[in-house]
Amino acid sequence: MADALLNPLSLTLSVQTSEAFAAPAMSLADRASRALESGVWGAVMYIVIGLVAVLTAVSVLGLVMSYIERKVAGHFQCRLGPMRVGPHGVLQSLADGIKLLFKEGIEPGDGDKVIFIGAPIFSITATILLLAIVPLAPGIQVVDMNVGVVYIAAVSGLGVMGILMGGWSSNNKWSLLGAMRAGAQMISYEVSLTIALLVVVLFSGTLKVSEIIESQQQGWWIWRGHGVAIVAFCLYVIASTAELNRTPFDLPEGESELTGGYHTEYSGLRFSFFFLAEFANLFVFSALAVTFFFGGWLPFHVGNYEGFNSVMDLLPPVISPIFWFGSKCATLIFILMWFRWTFPRLRMDQLMRLEWKVLLPIGFANLILAATVVLSGLYFFPSAT
Amino acid sequence: MATTTPVPTETECPPIDFGELKSNCVAPRPSIMGQKRGLRSILWLSFKGIVRGLLTTLSYFRRPSTVVTQQYPENRDTLEMFERYRGRLSLIHNEEGEHGCTACQICERLCPNASIIITKDKKNEATGKPALDQFIWRQDTCTFCNICVLVCPFDTLEMTGDFESSVFDRRLLVFNLNEYAGPTAGQLDKLEDDELAKAQMKPMNKYQGPVPMCGGEMDGIPKLDVEKPTDA
Repeated sequence: MADALLNPLSLTLSVQTSEAFAAPAMSLADRASRALESGVWGAVMYIVIGLVAVLTAVSVLGLVMSYIERKVAGHFQCRLGPMRVGPHGVLQSLADGIKLLFKEGIEPGDGDKVIFIGAPIFSITATILLLAIVPLAPGIQVVDMNVGVVYIAAVSGLGVMGILMGGWSSNNKWSLLGAMRAGAQMISYEVSLTIALLVVVLFSGTLKVSEIIESQQQGWWIWRGHGVAIVAFCLYVIASTAELNRTPFDLPEGESELTGGYHTEYSGLRFSFFFLAEFANLFVFSALAVTFFFGGWLPFHVGNYEGFNSVMDLLPPVISPIFWFGSKCATLIFILMWFRWTFPRLRMDQLMRLEWKVLLPIGFANLILAATVVLSGLYFFPSAT
Repeated sequence: MATTTPVPTETECPPIDFGELKSNCVAPRPSIMGQKRGLRSILWLSFKGIVRGLLTTLSYFRRPSTVVTQQYPENRDTLEMFERYRGRLSLIHNEEGEHGCTACQICERLCPNASIIITKDKKNEATGKPALDQFIWRQDTCTFCNICVLVCPFDTLEMTGDFESSVFDRRLLVFNLNEYAGPTAGQLDKLEDDELAKAQMKPMNKYQGPVPMCGGEMDGIPKLDVEKPTDA
């Protein structure tokens, strides 16, 4: 108490943080299920809020990310990027969106109409389902299920279906080749991605996403798990680049050889659905990396060094998650864009060789090493968990 | 373990001379493929290559001064075109407004699509040598191949950076390049009488003589005080 009197700031901070973190914040789905006990309409309201939030997030992310991507790409290539629509071209993606809205949605005459129309919807549904589990801040999460990691692995594989359907139903050789490449690539890299995530599951001992974040209260897994976590993170970044179909792994839509790959025949709003899904996925995979390796919305903490931790907690509880999550996520997105505009595209056989002969053995070895580390408690601050 | 491939020396790979444009043959960087290297060496080289590539793009990203994009209509007053850009063809005139064209017609003969027509005075009264009458350039058919500039023995032609050449009538794209009809600067200097030299320089209008405009009138083009050539 004397200590608290001497330093009132630390007292208020500790009260605030304990309030923010101690009580498990409820996700929208949990709130809906609780509301169901008293009536249907409360639950319906929460579900509608969740749906509207996720759909808004997808469209806003698509707009913002495509603008940022084009700006970053421009400056990496000694260009300026969009400069004409609005100051520094900020309204460019809005103008593009309006343009795509008014374009005719052409269907190939010999294509499979039903699958053709369904493919982009499938693709964006997978993204929406993924976005539902991303924890943005304590309680700002649509679904927080106890098998979160399994759900992520399952749903992120669903995006392949949309691409395969689109490529198949277009009845176009480029589309089909692109879709087949996408199928082979995304299913292969899915394995590495999941193995990289499993390392963190071993460390935190839970599959629930919010609990994985809370297990990083004493420090983020990327440095608490030292070498093992760093290898897992590198695997995750490489595999997620492949999952996102971004250069150097953008074979499914390699313009120079397949015109547009799986979305060659798509136009108008259907094309923009693929486009939105791609950019929202970029955010989702970065957000998941932040969640698993960089402590989600948690500030940078070092074990039990109270002084250092309280400095990191200086931000008020409302701004703190936004700042920490936003800055970490933005950095990761920038790194992915940096990769895209630096590396040339791989060949198909090189891609497959990298996954099955390099990444997968490294991933398995790393997983076994992680298990050893967890069993012997070799990671930093083991007492905290 | 690591063996190095011999790097081609200067003698094996001499600089190539293309006249004005000089090119140094770049010696190929030793490839890591096909060499007997250990796994560690290959990994290290790959890592170095990846990092070097990332740093290169980052250095462009960090420095906005490397941006080459020109914000054209906005910076129209300060726009500087590149030295080798091929815009409008121009006959070089010195400070006294004298050109160096002897009307040898090499450019006319070598022009691949006959975009240059030269008429000349076979024997100038004062110098006794052929003198340029009209240097007509057809911008509408020119492909800006630069051959006329390269072959000119007196280096009197150049491609300027002037690219704003849109007009509403294509007849305006055929015009004279010379500002006067008469002998070259060198021949004029040899004449002792300055008055005589001045008299040899008959001012030439851009749309004068046998060009499609041919003294015609058009909005924005002043009426020329020249007669239409009559068919003899």
